[in-house]
Amino acid sequence: MLRIEHLTKVFPNGTVALKDVSFQVPDGEFLAVIGLSGSGKSTLLRCINRLIEPTSGKIIWNDVDITALSQAEMRNVRRQIGFIFQQFNLVKRSSVITNVLTGRLGYVGTVQSLAHYFSKQDTERALNNLDRLGLREKAYVRADSLSGGQQQRVAIARALMQEPKMILADEPVASLDPVLSHSILKYLEQLNKEDELTVLCSLHFLDLVHRYATHAIALKDGQVVFQGLPQEIDDAQFKAIYGQDAQRVSII
Amino acid sequence: MSGQTLFTAPPKTKNPLLAALLSLIIPGAGQLYLGARNVALAIFATTVVLAFLIWFTLENFRVGQIEIGGVETSWLWLLFAAFWLWNVFDAYQRARGKTTSRLLSFGIPILLIYIIAWQVTDANFPRLVTRFNDVKIIFDALLHPDLFTRDTETQQGATTIWIPCSNPPQTTPPGGNSGLPVGVDKVCGTVGDPLAMAGRGFKPNTTGNIYWQEYGGTNEAQVRSGGQPVVVTTDANGNFVTSFDIPAFAGRDGLDPNAPTVQGIQARFVQEVGAIRPSENFHVLIGSIQQVPAPEWMVSLGIRSPDDTVPRFVPGGIFVTIGLGLMATLISIVIAAPLSFFGARNVMARVRGGTIIYYIARGIFNIVRSIDTLIWAIILVTWTGLGAFTGLLALSIHSIAAIAKLYSEEVEHTDPGPVEATTAAGGNLLQNIRFALIPQIIPSFLAYSLLRWDINMRSATVVGFVSAAGIGFYIVESIRKGGYHEYAAALWCIAIVVLIVDYLSAYWREQIVKNENKISTEPPKPFYKTRRGIFYTILFILVFIASWNLAQIDLSKLLEPAPTFASVIYDFVTVDLSIPVWEQIVRQMLVTIFQALLATTLGAILALPFAFLAAKNITGRSPRTRWIYYAARFILSFLRSIEAILYVAIFVFWVGIGAFAGMLALSVTTFGLIGKLFSEAVENIEEGPVEALTATGANRLQSIAFAIVPQIVPPFISYAIYQWDINIRLATIIGLAGGGGIGQLFANYTGQLQYHKAGAVILAIVVVVTMMDFASAKIRERLV
Repeated sequence: MLRIEHLTKVFPNGTVALKDVSFQVPDGEFLAVIGLSGSGKSTLLRCINRLIEPTSGKIIWNDVDITALSQAEMRNVRRQIGFIFQQFNLVKRSSVITNVLTGRLGYVGTVQSLAHYFSKQDTERALNNLDRLGLREKAYVRADSLSGGQQQRVAIARALMQEPKMILADEPVASLDPVLSHSILKYLEQLNKEDELTVLCSLHFLDLVHRYATHAIALKDGQVVFQGLPQEIDDAQFKAIYGQDAQRVSII
Repeated sequence: MSGQTLFTAPPKTKNPLLAALLSLIIPGAGQLYLGARNVALAIFATTVVLAFLIWFTLENFRVGQIEIGGVETSWLWLLFAAFWLWNVFDAYQRARGKTTSRLLSFGIPILLIYIIAWQVTDANFPRLVTRFNDVKIIFDALLHPDLFTRDTETQQGATTIWIPCSNPPQTTPPGGNSGLPVGVDKVCGTVGDPLAMAGRGFKPNTTGNIYWQEYGGTNEAQVRSGGQPVVVTTDANGNFVTSFDIPAFAGRDGLDPNAPTVQGIQARFVQEVGAIRPSENFHVLIGSIQQVPAPEWMVSLGIRSPDDTVPRFVPGGIFVTIGLGLMATLISIVIAAPLSFFGARNVMARVRGGTIIYYIARGIFNIVRSIDTLIWAIILVTWTGLGAFTGLLALSIHSIAAIAKLYSEEVEHTDPGPVEATTAAGGNLLQNIRFALIPQIIPSFLAYSLLRWDINMRSATVVGFVSAAGIGFYIVESIRKGGYHEYAAALWCIAIVVLIVDYLSAYWREQIVKNENKISTEPPKPFYKTRRGIFYTILFILVFIASWNLAQIDLSKLLEPAPTFASVIYDFVTVDLSIPVWEQIVRQMLVTIFQALLATTLGAILALPFAFLAAKNITGRSPRTRWIYYAARFILSFLRSIEAILYVAIFVFWVGIGAFAGMLALSVTTFGLIGKLFSEAVENIEEGPVEALTATGANRLQSIAFAIVPQIVPPFISYAIYQWDINIRLATIIGLAGGGGIGQLFANYTGQLQYHKAGAVILAIVVVVTMMDFASAKIRERLV
């Protein structure tokens, strides 16, 4: 169970990105976070594993207050939370398998990892994860030789190396073609259903939310304006979230 | 207000007369009253700087000195007054919403500065012409470097004569002929008498010279006629006949008819025979093969006995220099790479107290690199003494700072995404650097390292001026001896080596970019499994060992500094702040700054037309003019490959020791450097406008004037300012070779062991170079 309580984030330049955000995510849920660009979706997800330090409020995950942890303790929490980025954030010049293995950094000792030493089991695990995402034969090529969709699958494999209990995905399909969007989200859905991972995923398109999410919350100007089932988002809700001029569009 | 451009007029609600009055009292005050804050500041600062320059240079260099009614003053105050008046007029016009001439606002200060610069650097261009005959021997030497030689064979015949004639004249010659048979038509004579000489039995169809000799003594003089040496040529039978006047040399012991002296006249035919072989100088410069005792490993393996000798290549000065350049580059890469993370804002932001470390690191990098390698060498000599190792340390220190700054910037330019990803996966700082940062920066680090190798190679050629090792030292020695053929040989060696390094460095950098952009879908082989990888690894190890030996690395020296070392360092750090010392420093610093300014101007003006000749799109296309392109390129590369300080010797010989010689030497390298940059700017122009003009029927010159020139003016100005920045750095050391300026002052102070004064000089250099660096970057940012 993940509980967000009165979370607020004010950036040093004065921008209020999150304003008193509170909600709960039961284990095993696929929660879609929707809202316009700049509504605070990315900040919210990054606050959860403290890539961004929240200004005030609490994040309680499995009865542990994440906001109160030291940096060293935080490392232990982070490795249980996978993070998928819009821009994939792979090291382009490194090989696919090295990128996947970096998902293991939270588990291995500093000295041996600096020497690029990973155990046989870790390498085996990396190959299996790549296999699961259909990329095993690409393991030793450079990451930038892959297409965008393939790179995002490498990023998912990297997150799986953490053996996460939860996955945070920040606009995982916004940089991809619509067709590829489904392929990536199907993988996330699979992880959610088969591995019973909690998934928090920010998304642009409402029909993707309908198709994949079990719950949804909507942010507007840093505040929660909707909480509930995806099907409950009617036209009035939609206008409230996206503004009066917005039109519903759908992708395949 | 800050967004306001320099010459926009404000709304005219203010009183023009008041504005003018304010500006009359304090320059810029009227403009400030009108709200043009930047303009006001610029006018005020310009006035203060000009006033200081006129006053200071009048006091110290007698610039513009005139006497009016017994009072000494400078006529430059007239120009200063003109600027002040312009400022008043500008305030008045500005208040009425009008503008004034840009020509005046910039023209007067620039004119003033150039007049002062001209006088301060003692520029005397006529001397270049009047002393041209004397400098011919250097140009001749440059074309005949002492690298190769042939054996010579000498044929001579000598006879004697009485000088002067006694009374009555002698009737029999003094006798004592030697060599092949020669004779003269007189028994005795005095200085200026015509003399005919004949000889036979020499090699047919060869040329020789006549020498007048002190009989039985060792002195001799070549006989000249009309200023030129007398040349005699044998006919097909080996006979010659010639005539000349008895030279003044014959009468140098006095001409007493009662005590006539016997003097000798020799015809000498020197011929080169045999094959061309390396000269003695070649061995010193490049190396020789010598027999040395068998090394221990050969003895212990039983290949040779301890008494055996083996041939071994003994490297000359140029190889020591190459070794120094390579070793300094390797050392600086190894040390600068980890240091660079302390100078990277994005990394330090993740560490507690990191921002302070960041500023300290960047500050140190900037201070250390603003002090030239040669000045570092002078300081380090007090630690490790003379020798190649000190040169290596000086090169390394400067190079570490310079390269660490570049590396730091490269670390800052990395994509933050991967770091975010590894952080999210639970990586700590070191792991994040290892897996997310380092892979990103490898190509640019390699490229910068190669670039630095090129720069270090150039610096290594001059570091010997101070550390007494390598080719720089060789040059100092040959100039001291007046051995211009040896000097020329060294310059040629340097040019060739630097051009090769320049080419290799550029080629490998290009390869790096190519490899980065070539994305293969095949898994890459690890480098130690490719043939090329193995080749380069072995090559690297061999080069490393050779360089280590050549640089005479002796780490124990670091631990055994001279006993005075601590007090020397103490003196350096406790900077002398007394007024007389700083008056000297400001004086010489002005010389240095103005040297750089004039050298940049002169080099840029000369390079301007030349750049078009060296641009591929102008001369490189048509087969008829392509030779011009290659010739121009070669001249630019050659001039650029030799450091300015190495040219100083030529100009010291030409125009005399001092700031003018240094300025000229600087302008030669400026010409080479800026000519290359300019020609690249010409090559990068857009073809569209040229095409359009050509379509309207414009000829080549017209299209250059109207389509090319407007496109290249901004980059040209930008490069010129950049070059001024570089030249100030170079000008700080040019004094070490007799080129005047702050370097000479520094050398004087260290020579007199006045290290606290030398420390003050270094402080001044750091301040000026850093300010120039900053200003030039800001100005160029605005231009582009």
